[in-house]
Amino acid sequence: MRKKYYFFITLLTIIVGLIIPFSNNTNIGVAADEKSHYTITTDSTYPPFDFQKENQKEYVGIDMDLLKEIAKIENFTYRVKPMSFNMAAQAVANGQADGIIAGMAITPEREQIYDVSTPYFKTGVVFAVAKNSKIKSYEDLKGKKVALKTGTAAANYALELQKKYDFNVTYFNDSNIMYNDVIEGNSAACFEDQPVMQYGIQTGLKLKIPEQKLGNAGGYGFFVKKGQNSQLLKKFNRGLKKLQNNGKYDQIVGRYLGSAKSSVTKEKKGNLPHYNIATDVTFPPFEIQAKNGKYTGIDMDILESISKSQGFTYTLKPMSFNSATQTVANGQNDGIISGLTVTDERRKVFDFSNSYFRSGFIWAVNKDAKINNIKDLKNQTVALKTGTGSADYAKSIQKKYGFKIKYFNDSNTMYNDVVVGNSVACFEDEPVMRYAIKNGINLTIPKQTPANTGEYAFAVQKGKNAALLKAFNIGLKELKESGKYDQIKAKYLGSKADTNKEVGNTKEDNSVWGLLSSNREMFLSGLGNTMLLTVFAILIASVWGLILGIMGVSENRFVRGVYSTIIYIFRGLPLLVLAFFIYIGLPNLTGVKISTFAAGLLTLVLNEGAYTGAFVKGGFDAVDPGQMEAARALGVPYNQAMRGIIMPQGLKIMIPSFINQFIITLKDTSIISAIGFVELTQTGQLLVARTQKGFAVYGIVALIYLIVITVLTWLSKFIEKRLGF
Amino acid sequence: MNDKVLKIHAENVYKSFGKNEVLKGVSLDVHENEVVVMIGPSGSGKSTFLRAINQLEKIDKGSIIVDNVDVSDPKTNINKVRQRIGMVFQNFNLFNNKNVIDNITYAPLTLKKMTPDEAVEKARRLLVTVGLADREKSPVSQLSGGQKQRLAIARALEMDPDVMLFDEPTSALDPEMVGDVLNVMRDLAKQGMTMIIVTHEMGFARQVADRVVFFDQGVILEDDSPEIIFNQPKNVRAKEFINKIINA
Repeated sequence: MRKKYYFFITLLTIIVGLIIPFSNNTNIGVAADEKSHYTITTDSTYPPFDFQKENQKEYVGIDMDLLKEIAKIENFTYRVKPMSFNMAAQAVANGQADGIIAGMAITPEREQIYDVSTPYFKTGVVFAVAKNSKIKSYEDLKGKKVALKTGTAAANYALELQKKYDFNVTYFNDSNIMYNDVIEGNSAACFEDQPVMQYGIQTGLKLKIPEQKLGNAGGYGFFVKKGQNSQLLKKFNRGLKKLQNNGKYDQIVGRYLGSAKSSVTKEKKGNLPHYNIATDVTFPPFEIQAKNGKYTGIDMDILESISKSQGFTYTLKPMSFNSATQTVANGQNDGIISGLTVTDERRKVFDFSNSYFRSGFIWAVNKDAKINNIKDLKNQTVALKTGTGSADYAKSIQKKYGFKIKYFNDSNTMYNDVVVGNSVACFEDEPVMRYAIKNGINLTIPKQTPANTGEYAFAVQKGKNAALLKAFNIGLKELKESGKYDQIKAKYLGSKADTNKEVGNTKEDNSVWGLLSSNREMFLSGLGNTMLLTVFAILIASVWGLILGIMGVSENRFVRGVYSTIIYIFRGLPLLVLAFFIYIGLPNLTGVKISTFAAGLLTLVLNEGAYTGAFVKGGFDAVDPGQMEAARALGVPYNQAMRGIIMPQGLKIMIPSFINQFIITLKDTSIISAIGFVELTQTGQLLVARTQKGFAVYGIVALIYLIVITVLTWLSKFIEKRLGF
Repeated sequence: MNDKVLKIHAENVYKSFGKNEVLKGVSLDVHENEVVVMIGPSGSGKSTFLRAINQLEKIDKGSIIVDNVDVSDPKTNINKVRQRIGMVFQNFNLFNNKNVIDNITYAPLTLKKMTPDEAVEKARRLLVTVGLADREKSPVSQLSGGQKQRLAIARALEMDPDVMLFDEPTSALDPEMVGDVLNVMRDLAKQGMTMIIVTHEMGFARQVADRVVFFDQGVILEDDSPEIIFNQPKNVRAKEFINKIINA
């Protein structure tokens, strides 16, 4: 009973400990808007954006220089806190810091957690290989190992490619170690942001970038926690604009990248004109992100078809709808296709193509309902989704038709309320409704004229990119004439309610249970790797430690010297340093490659074995030396007396130390994540990088460790009893 | 002078622990069947000399010959010699991971000197002689101090030693336990065992010893029969020491 209490008290302490910093945040956040001194986190090594010059304490780089100039213009002060990229991003998400500037790419996931500035740098992902490597394309990566840096956009991009090109990935927390892994030949390639890679190679990295299209082109932004520090964000945007206008921006970028930037741009464009097209992250059926990260949908299919027929290439840049419109309006991106309705206001900033879709609000009912006319809704309950245009429209006609209203926060729940018959109808955008019905929602759309109809069109910045706009219009016309347009429409909306499946659900359930269940396999595989490493490390380290301990009580002075030296070295070295040395340094010395698992295991065995050896010797020493004397006086040789008298008693003394060491070994496996072994901790880091739910993910990870440690302790005690000690 | 066989011949033995010189030229002969008791103030070197006889302490200078074998010679197989020298310690030094009978049979079985049957049979006989026949299977932790020391004597006797060394065998015992242990030793002396004993039991020494040796500051100051040593010691310091002990 007692033990159970301790267990729960420990858990409670941990949970409270995790919550407290969160509850404090709100206060900090509220106050933050009025201040003029900010804490800005950055990546500690991300040249050419953030890095320390030789023998200098101060951080420099494009990010740092921009920030410095903007602070000057906008009259605020700041303190830079360099840390690992993941920590830097988390610190801002948690409100521990005000903003982050760290060559951080703008992604839809991030926009859910952060507010982001206008992009200050265009970038994309490339892969680099060792200088002597024959790898030229993604196809050559098949079956090879690819090095990624945890939590970066480049890593996410590589993951999208992984299935298609069938390579293995390994993770690092630090760029240099990742590069080295490729240089040493442990990994075949690494994915990195293009300017970073370019700069690294310029400054002497023995890597090269094979000719390739820039992947996932996008922009770097300055991030603040969502809903907070809006003043800081404003200042940054205003300052950035001034810098861009007075030419200082170009100076700063030129300082670090020289003219190299333009040459790469040419390379990626090839012969065909290349455009950056912004779009919404998720707006089914127009923009749908499939599980593999690829975008599909009506907009996407139209764009793809037109680009082929009109001979241009493009890079898709999914972002929030607002960012998408902004980046096109200010020229960061060349065009936008995002279910964008043509309005007079928008015409002031955009040039629109011909309309490619006509949309409006409609209402849908249960398949069995006998409601055919809007007048039938009288005195019935109607389901609406909060904050949508269709809800506003329904409200505007409520009095006229006399129905009751019920609100929902998400579409799926709203549809289901109608399906089960609690409500008789729901209002929705027509294409969205049709798409949902096609994907299996059991509703039907009675004959009606869509209300508040609008035209969807492709748009470019006003007065720019006329060639692109023209190409789009010609392509669209051809699509419509060839019948392909109707095919695309039918694919997503169906003509009738056929059950052709098109999975496009991108919503992730980010609750603790949601995280657990949707990432069950990831957690299990992480836990599996942790357990594998732990079990092997415990077994081998125990044997090695016993051998060391026996050497430590040897009669031979030389053998004792070997013991002392080994303990001195491996107990003295930090585990992390040892891991890096073995994984990166050893292949350098011996020319033999070593897998992350083998390197991790060797690291743990050497470290834990040294500790084990020390307490094994201590256990032997703790046995009353008189017994050894008595055995020797009887004529029994030293080694036999050791085995027969001293060791059995010493081992008994050591049992608690062994159990303790097992637990330490389990926990120390988390350090092996640093060399890219995806065990439980690394799994957590990857998940946090993707979901930004640090609290929940690390909470789960912590809990799993505690459970495993509890089981391990029980098991050790059980074995101890069974052995009859 | 003595026509008996010379068992132990120590000549000019020196031993230091660091800067502390404990033995400063000790010479002593012990013949077969002789019982020699060594007395002297603590720190005078008697225990160190005793432990040098079976090389639990290595000596710095001089030589010690046991049964014509030079034990101080590094080439000597000391384990072979030790098998013939029994030793009993002040703190018993029993094997705590073994029960009573296994303590006795451990050495002959480990060294393959006897078959298990022989070893057990002999151990049982010895247990009878030391009065522990009923404790054969007890863990040693359950024995009293006196029982422990009697077991330690039996353990040493199992190997059939030619010589027995006793290093203050009763000093760690409660007074009521001392008698039993001394009785066992007295019987052993009667059977003709060659014995060297370090002890403060003057009554026992007077009764059992053939010779008494007085140690002081690393040298032997007097070596004579118990009558002379206890009644008319020639040496002043020996006289002082004996008076102090007897009048204490």
